[in-house]
Amino acid sequence: MTTVAPPQQLVTSSSRPRTALTLVILGVTLALVLVVSAGVGAVRLSLSEVLRAILHPGEAGDAGVILFSLRLPRVLAAALAGAGLSATGVLFQGLFRNPLADPFVLGASGGAALGGAAAMFVFPTLSVAGVGASAMFAFAGALLTMAIVWSLARRSGQHGIENMLLAGFAIGTMLNAATSAFELVHEAANPGARILAVWLYGQIGVPPWNQVSLITVVMIVAIVAALPLARRLNTMALGDEYAAQLGVAVNRVRVQTVIVGALLTALAVSLGGLIGFVGLLVPHVLRLMLGPDHFRLLPAAALGGAIFLVLADTAARTVFAPLEIPVGILTAFLGGPAFLYLLHHKRKAR
Amino acid sequence: MAPFLEFRDVSFARGARAIFERLSLSLHAGERVALLGPNGVGKSTLLAMIAGLLRPGSGTIVLNGLDVRHWNRRDLSRTVALVPQTLEVPFSFRVEEIVAQGRVPHLGRFGSLSARDLEVVERAMEAVDVLQLRNRVYQELSGGERQRVKIAIAMAQEPTLMLLDEPTQHLDIGRQIEIVGLLRRLNERGITVLAAVHDLTIARDNFERGILLTSEPTCISGSVAELLTPELLARAFGVDGANFGRFSEPATALQHAAVHQGTAQPHRRVRGRHGRKINRDLR
Repeated sequence: MTTVAPPQQLVTSSSRPRTALTLVILGVTLALVLVVSAGVGAVRLSLSEVLRAILHPGEAGDAGVILFSLRLPRVLAAALAGAGLSATGVLFQGLFRNPLADPFVLGASGGAALGGAAAMFVFPTLSVAGVGASAMFAFAGALLTMAIVWSLARRSGQHGIENMLLAGFAIGTMLNAATSAFELVHEAANPGARILAVWLYGQIGVPPWNQVSLITVVMIVAIVAALPLARRLNTMALGDEYAAQLGVAVNRVRVQTVIVGALLTALAVSLGGLIGFVGLLVPHVLRLMLGPDHFRLLPAAALGGAIFLVLADTAARTVFAPLEIPVGILTAFLGGPAFLYLLHHKRKAR
Repeated sequence: MAPFLEFRDVSFARGARAIFERLSLSLHAGERVALLGPNGVGKSTLLAMIAGLLRPGSGTIVLNGLDVRHWNRRDLSRTVALVPQTLEVPFSFRVEEIVAQGRVPHLGRFGSLSARDLEVVERAMEAVDVLQLRNRVYQELSGGERQRVKIAIAMAQEPTLMLLDEPTQHLDIGRQIEIVGLLRRLNERGITVLAAVHDLTIARDNFERGILLTSEPTCISGSVAELLTPELLARAFGVDGANFGRFSEPATALQHAAVHQGTAQPHRRVRGRHGRKINRDLR
């Protein structure tokens, strides 16, 4: 008889770092990045000025006005949009068992943008319990798009991956064309209005504070609620039949994952429009560091996505100052090559 | 003693095509049974029905005295483990992470692994000799290694009944012997084994009993040696007059097979004329 070695902690053994430690490091980094980015801009504020203004808002003077009415809402919006897109990436990649699944690539962002644009155009003033019609329609648009892409990808069996990408691309293109049409009509009717144009390019806005706090709360609740789903996605990585055999309610997990993903996407789009590839880039880098476990990846990706988009947005608004380029253009430049790399890698692996 | 598993007049159709009609069979606890029959006769379907993945159109499947339909899903997953033909895993999941999925039916609401779960996973990997592969990425494993990892997942479920779908398919002779030896050991530990097997020699030498599914709506059960008569095999596999005689002569069967192949198809011709086709089949 051979003796059995004492069981090691499964997920944290070997070279993969501990979950809690990773999350703390990412959280501290995010806080630092937020404070530093809030100081960067046409009026430069030092780290101590920013911290003093945050701790004693009453005595901050001009710096306080700049921070609280412009900079902080903007960096927080970027953080929330990045967290939402990146977390959705993890959920959709687990759902489709494919590292290329991303809310932008799959057309969910396009659906959310069209839904939001349509609502802005048709019901510009409607709002229920503080939630604008555009946010609700964005959610509906993302949900509907995912349902269509899912059913197209499912039916195609063997070539599911290719079909999923093609379906997402085709539907996304159509949705974006429709959003562009809304934009043109809207701008003709309201000269100088750029609300919808901003959505198409993917630019972080400066949202009112009540919107920032509402979205923060909803997003944290959604991500925490998705943690049990992330565990199920690990089992579903073995395939639907295998997961069903192990007692996972596969269909329920799928529907819940799509709903949470669509919600996070809609929130992100309502803050910054069509920002592509965040949900692809960030989870990929974190997967290399932490391994593929969705349960660890989900919160890490939310924090990582927030860090990434705050940095990207700060670069987008300062590098060509006074010209501001939409952050969506920047992420496309970074994300496009990453997408092609992953596509190539996937082909080789087969 | 009542059988552990019993099919009572089970019918199942896929679209318009009837797979089973009024099929009845039974399995006792502790048995090691080979499920035999031609391609497409429904061996995988039968295993999926026992695992609760497919519902019979009519009739009942009784497991441990209770209709499978009325089993709680988690209880069923703790009692019956199905080892499917293939397992493809995306991303770089490691062997121990995958084997740990076998604990899912035992886990609580929050799905975290207890010390006991970790110990079971450890023992499952030890039982099928994949401990040394624990930190390897599943995608990078060979066919034989993957087969053992799949059985380790099933072991981690701590099942009473293990169902295996073609566990020796696509393996070289050495790996086939390993897997079959492993199944014998698991059976000796008290796990009831039902395995769909294509290779009649493996079935004859390693299983106590066989269940032969034929395209007729019946199945024939008996000791594997009894089943491997030329008449039954010709009926089941639908080839009249083929040389099935070799399977009923245990001692000389391998020799017989070699001689048979040698005379029928000289090696040169196989390489020369059929080389291309063989390659395609292998892929």
